[in-house]
Amino acid sequence: MTDLVSETDGAAARLPRLRSTGSWRGTGLNAWLAPAGVIAVLALLIVPPILVLAHTSAVTEGTGAEAGHFTLEHFRSIFDNPRLYVSAWHSLQFSALSTMLSIVFGGLLAWVVVRTNAPFGPLAYITAVVSLGTPYILHVAAWTFLLGRTGPFNEAWRDLTGSSGVLLDVYSMWGMVLIQGMLWSPLVFLLMSAVFRRANAEMEEAARMCGASIAQTVWKISFKLAWPAITGMALFVFIRNLESFDVPVLIGGPAKIYVLTTDIYLAMTEMPPKMGHATAFSLILIAIVSVALVFYSRFARHADRYASVTGKGFRPRPFDLGKWRWLGGAVVIANFVFVLLLPLLATLWISLMPFARPIRLSALKLLTLENYHIVLSDPRYLELAFNTIVVAAGAATAAMVLALLAGWLVVRRWPGGRVIDQLINIPIVFPGIVVGVALLILSLRVPFPLYGTLAVIMLAFVIRFLPYGMRYAHSGVMQIHRELEEAAGVAGAGQMLILRRIVLPLLVPALLSGWLFIFLIGANELSMSVLLAGPQTQVMAVAMLDQWSSGQSVEVFALGMCWSVFMTVCALVFYALARRTLAGAGEGGL
Amino acid sequence: MLKQRGIRAVVAAALPAIAVLLAGTLARADDKALYEAAKKEGQVNWYTGLIQNQVVRPVVAGFEKKYPGVKVNVTGGRQTELNLKILTEGKAGKLQADLTEGTTVVETLKPAGLIVPYKPEGWDKLPAQYKDPNGYWTAVVLYFLVPAINTEMVKPGEEPKTLEDLLDPKWKGKMAWTAEMTIGGPPGFIAAVLKEKGEEKGKEYLKKLAAQQIKTVPSNPRVVLDQVIAGQYPIALITYNHHSVISANKGAPVKWLKIEPVVGGMAMSVLLKGPHPNAAKLLIDYLVSPEGAEVIRKANYIPSNPSVPAIDPTLKPEVGKFKVVTPSPEEIEKNVDKWIAIYKELFQ
Repeated sequence: MTDLVSETDGAAARLPRLRSTGSWRGTGLNAWLAPAGVIAVLALLIVPPILVLAHTSAVTEGTGAEAGHFTLEHFRSIFDNPRLYVSAWHSLQFSALSTMLSIVFGGLLAWVVVRTNAPFGPLAYITAVVSLGTPYILHVAAWTFLLGRTGPFNEAWRDLTGSSGVLLDVYSMWGMVLIQGMLWSPLVFLLMSAVFRRANAEMEEAARMCGASIAQTVWKISFKLAWPAITGMALFVFIRNLESFDVPVLIGGPAKIYVLTTDIYLAMTEMPPKMGHATAFSLILIAIVSVALVFYSRFARHADRYASVTGKGFRPRPFDLGKWRWLGGAVVIANFVFVLLLPLLATLWISLMPFARPIRLSALKLLTLENYHIVLSDPRYLELAFNTIVVAAGAATAAMVLALLAGWLVVRRWPGGRVIDQLINIPIVFPGIVVGVALLILSLRVPFPLYGTLAVIMLAFVIRFLPYGMRYAHSGVMQIHRELEEAAGVAGAGQMLILRRIVLPLLVPALLSGWLFIFLIGANELSMSVLLAGPQTQVMAVAMLDQWSSGQSVEVFALGMCWSVFMTVCALVFYALARRTLAGAGEGGL
Repeated sequence: MLKQRGIRAVVAAALPAIAVLLAGTLARADDKALYEAAKKEGQVNWYTGLIQNQVVRPVVAGFEKKYPGVKVNVTGGRQTELNLKILTEGKAGKLQADLTEGTTVVETLKPAGLIVPYKPEGWDKLPAQYKDPNGYWTAVVLYFLVPAINTEMVKPGEEPKTLEDLLDPKWKGKMAWTAEMTIGGPPGFIAAVLKEKGEEKGKEYLKKLAAQQIKTVPSNPRVVLDQVIAGQYPIALITYNHHSVISANKGAPVKWLKIEPVVGGMAMSVLLKGPHPNAAKLLIDYLVSPEGAEVIRKANYIPSNPSVPAIDPTLKPEVGKFKVVTPSPEEIEKNVDKWIAIYKELFQ
C-alpha cells in the first residue's frame, strides 16, 4: 500500500489536475473497476427505457398494418403546434415560479429547523413525511376543494361581501404554482435539511463573532455554503416541474392555461394512448437536461470550496436566533398549516361526507363514518398494503445503494464519473408510462419469469427514482471535504475501506432521508404500477385509482386518510430505528 | 283427414317445444363439455377495468362456486393501461390475457388480431345493438352519457331540456365536461351531435356551444359530476346517468337530464387468444347470463341482459324512454380522430 501511495504521488506530480482527486486512488485498471461496474449496472437499467423512448418516438402508431413505420411526425407535431411559444412561456413561468416557491419555502424551513434553535422542529419532519405519504391526487383534490368556488375561503368571501363571485380562482397560474410548489417543498425540505445538518457551524459562529447580523450570517455563510446543493436541487426540481403532466393540466386545464405537456396529457388519454408524441417530447427534454447537466457539473467541479465537513473537527451546533426565535417557530407552523393541516382537514371532511359537500354548518348532520367502515372492513387492503411496502422499501434500498456509489464516484471525479452523472439523471424526464412499457416489454422477453412479479415493479421504481436518490447522495458527498478520505488513504486504507468507514457514516443522514423519500413516493406511485401489477401483485395506488374513477370517489378519501396514517406510522418507526442506529454510532440527530 | 290434420297440428305445436328441450339439453351438454375443458385448463386470466370490490369479486366468487376447479386470476386497472398491456403481450407473442372488457377494447385489439370471435350462451336473446354479428364482442355493461345538474344551483323551471337550451347565455362559463378523449368524453358528445343534426348543422351547433366556454376538467366523468355536486359548476355535460342516481339516493343535490340524443357506450367483453380459451368462454357465458347480470346490477352498473333491469329501471332507454346514439366500434375506429380534431379546433 505504501508503495502504491508513493508511486501515485509521483504520477500526480506529473498530472497536477488529477492530484487533487486521484492521487491516492491507484491507477490503471483498479481506478476503472468500480466506475465501470456502476456504469454497467446503470446502463442496464437506463438504456432499455431510452431505446423504447427512441423507438416509440420515431415510428407510426396504431395496431394494424400502418403501424411501426419510421416517421418524424411526432417531433414535427410538437414544433407545428401553433401555440408552441405561448405554451412554452407558460411552462417556463410555471416551472420557474413553482421551483422558486419550493426552494425558498423548503430551504428556509430546513435551515430554521436544522440550524437554529427555533421551536417546533419535529413538526416540520412530521409535515414532510405525512405530506409525502399522502397520494398526490388527494393533495390536488383537497387544494382545489379548499380554494375552489365552494371552498371555505370563497364561501367566507361571499358571506362577508354578499357577492356571488369568487375571491380566489384556483384555476389560474398562481393556483398551479401554489399547488405544485407545496407538493415539492417537502422534498426540498428533506434534502436541504440533510445538507444543513452536515454544514459546519464554525463558520457561522465565526461570522457572528465578527459582528455580522443574523441576516448577514444566514445570507453570506449558511446559504452560500449550501449553494451547490441549492442550485443542483433547483435545476432538478425545475426539470421535474417542466415535465410534470398532472398539476399543470389538472389545474391549468379548466383555465385554458396550456403548457407544453397539455397536448401530451390529452394524447395519453386517448385509446390506446398516443405515446409517440409524449416520447418525442421526453427525448427533447433529455437533450435539454443533458446540456443543463454539463453546465451544472462544470459548476460543481469547484464545489470543493463549499465542503465544510473537514478533518478539523466538526460540530454542528444550533444557531441562536435570540429574540427572533418566535419567527423561526412561525415558519415551521406556517409550513405545517399550509402543507399538511389544511389539505388534511379538507380530506378528512370529504371522507366523512356521503358525497362531496362544501364545508358548512348545515352539512354537519350528514357526517358519517360509512366510508371508513367500507374501507376498514375490506381485508384485501391488507394484502395491497403489504405488497406496496415490500416494493417501496426494496426499491428505496436498491436505489440508495446505487446512488451512494454513484454520488461518491461522481463527486470525487473518478474516471467515468461524468458518464455516471449523465446516465443517472436521465430518468427524471422519463414519463412513468414509458418506464412501465419498457419493463413490460423487457419482462416478457427475458428467459426467466419476471412478468407480473413484484420484482418488476421494484425495478421500475429504482429506475424512475434513481435521480432523487442521487440528489441526496450527491449533495451529501459534496459536503465532505476530500481531505478526510485522503487522510485515510495516506494512512493505508483501501477504497472500499474508505467508503465504508469514512464516507458511509458521514453520509448516513442524507442516505436515510433519501431512502425515506423514495419509499414514500414509491408507495404512492401509480402510472408504472398500474401497468406492471399482475393478479397477485396489485398495489395500493392502483386500488385507489380504481375507486377514484368508478363512482366511489368519497371512499377514496377515506382510504387515502387510512393510508396516510399507515404511512406515517411506517415513517415514524423508521425514524425511531434510524435515530437509535445513529445514536449507537455516536451520531447526534436525524 | 281431420284427425290427421289434428295430429299434424299437435306435432307442429309440439315441435318448437321439443326443439327448445333438445336445444336445452344440447346447450347443457355443450356447457358440460366446456366446463370439462375449462377444468383441464384450471384457471383463467381476466383483465378487467370493472370496480374490484363491487363487481369483480362477487362475479369471481359466484363463478368459482358454480364451476369448482376453475380459478379466476384478476388483473385490474384502467382500460387504457390494460389495453396497452394486452397489446404488448401480444406483440411479444406471450399473450397472458384470456378475456377483457371495456368501451374501447374492440377497435384497439381487433386490428392487432388478438380477438377470437365467440358467441356466448344466450347470445341470440341479446338485442342486435349489444353484440357483434360475427361474435367479436358481446356487451356486458351499458353506459348512458347525459348532462347532469346541481339541483341547488339550477332551479326546476330552468333545467335545460334540449341541446339548444344549453346555448342559453345564462349557462356561459357554467358548464364542465371531462377531458377524456374517448367515447365517454367530448368525442362521444361531438359524435352524437353530428349524427343527430348532420355534419354541417352539427358543426354549427358545436361552434355555438364552444362560445359558451365549457370548462374542461382533466379527469373522468365521475370527478366532473362530483365537482357539480360540490357546487363548483351547475352543469356537467357528460356524465353516466347511473352515477347521478347513486349519489341522489345518498341525498346529493344532483339530477341527470334526458337531453337527447343520449350517448351510449358499452363494456364489450372479448375473448382473447390467451392460454385458457375454454375457461374464458365459460366466464364470458357467466358474465352475460342472468346470474352475472344480477351481480352487475347490484353493483349499480346497468347490465346488458334485457331480462335484468337496472337498479333504477328508468336508467335503461327502453323504460326511461330516451333516444340513444351508440357508435359502433367500427364507427369509432373510423371517426374518432375526426371527432378529436373537432374538439381541438373548437374547444381547446
